[in-house]
Amino acid sequence: MKIVGVCACCSGIAHTYMAKKAIVNAAEAMGDEIHMETQGTIGAEDELTANQIKEADCVLLCIDVHIEGMDRFKNKKVMKISTDLAIKAPKQIIAKIHRELEKAI
Amino acid sequence: MPKMKKVGIKAPVLTAIGYLLPLVVASGLLIAIGNLTGGEDVTSLDGITVPDALTTIGVFGMGLLPSFIAGYIAYAIADRPGLAPGFLMGQVASFLGAGFLGGLIGGIIGGYIALFFETYLKVPKWAQALMPMMIIPTLTAIIAGLIMVFVLGGPIAALTAGLTAFIKGLDQSQKFAYGFILGFIQHLDYGGAISKVPNLICDGMMADGIYGPEAVKVLGSMVPPFGVTLALLLSKAIHKPIFYKEEIENIKVAFPMGICMITEGVIPIAMNDLVRTIISTALGDAVCGAIAFSMGVESMVPSGGMFVVPAMKNPGWALVALAAGSCVTAIMLVLLKKKIDPAMEKKVEKEEEVDLSGLSFS
Repeated sequence: MKIVGVCACCSGIAHTYMAKKAIVNAAEAMGDEIHMETQGTIGAEDELTANQIKEADCVLLCIDVHIEGMDRFKNKKVMKISTDLAIKAPKQIIAKIHRELEKAI
Repeated sequence: MPKMKKVGIKAPVLTAIGYLLPLVVASGLLIAIGNLTGGEDVTSLDGITVPDALTTIGVFGMGLLPSFIAGYIAYAIADRPGLAPGFLMGQVASFLGAGFLGGLIGGIIGGYIALFFETYLKVPKWAQALMPMMIIPTLTAIIAGLIMVFVLGGPIAALTAGLTAFIKGLDQSQKFAYGFILGFIQHLDYGGAISKVPNLICDGMMADGIYGPEAVKVLGSMVPPFGVTLALLLSKAIHKPIFYKEEIENIKVAFPMGICMITEGVIPIAMNDLVRTIISTALGDAVCGAIAFSMGVESMVPSGGMFVVPAMKNPGWALVALAAGSCVTAIMLVLLKKKIDPAMEKKVEKEEEVDLSGLSFS
């Protein structure tokens, strides 16, 4: 499964990156291909490419704040959660995404 | 009929704080450096010195706060068309003496009015380019501005003034109690979503000229990381191992992060033993807050950790409060946490079950 997403928390220093790490680890452990962009206080890093977004099965937003570039995800399946949840239960979230995607097919 | 998108209030406010922080930190440090080198806030260029200039620039920055908060809240609610009227509402709040709270409310009102127009106002095709440029900002500014000036401005200004008078009128024992409560709630989830609320209140009071709570916030943010570090040393001294190897590695990272006022480094350690850790750090924070607030420690800089302590008012008491809080946390941790087998790498990892049934794709 191919997943793209964005992580962004309020101060953009810690939760953003912790959420990214947790989600990426969980997704890769389940054999998914995942690209997560971070929008921290330093600006956007690991920016998603148009191709990555196009090929992705779904979009996972781990965000507490307003993010840049929401229009990129028009017509995509988008799931939105908080960074806290991403840090707390990354495996369950990836499993949930799998279930939801299978349901959709 | 199109429906207004759901944005709520929390995400916009958090967004605004994110944009606000660098401004407040830079301005606060400018004021602190200026004041420490003998500068003061001046209004003309006659005989101005470098320290005067620094302080004055910092004060300009603080004056921007209501506009920043209002502007970026409105931006987060209504996207770009909200930005201009949002900033304007902040200026209105400053003018009305409604300060930070006024900016907060003005931004929410401006943002939602702009969002309303974006969603429901239909114009002919030729005028569509004018929507974000002219129509939405102007209409929003008129309506939100009039609401602020004639309806909400007065009450908010009165509320701000009342709060200021209330805090300035507290005697020492009351300050001790308020400092205790403030410290207790300030960093409950180590910089997460819960602690952002009391953090914001302290930032707001700082913008309106009350600097005590901000000192509680800054000092308190360092108590959890310093506390767990001390607890590690203490546990080694008395031969009661309480941290796994992996946690010890985490503490080595959490400590320098703590010096820079990033409390989040404690999260991985707290996650393994949530209740005991939170009780210990919250009580340490409460003690730190009680001492700092009652002894008149004040901070004009909202962020920066140990580096801004010299710029605080009564820095000696700031250090005492910090040390006392950290010791309380450390002792509590050593007492409360169970003895573990030090040979174990880490706690067996198991995710806490969470209810995700409400989640779906949209």
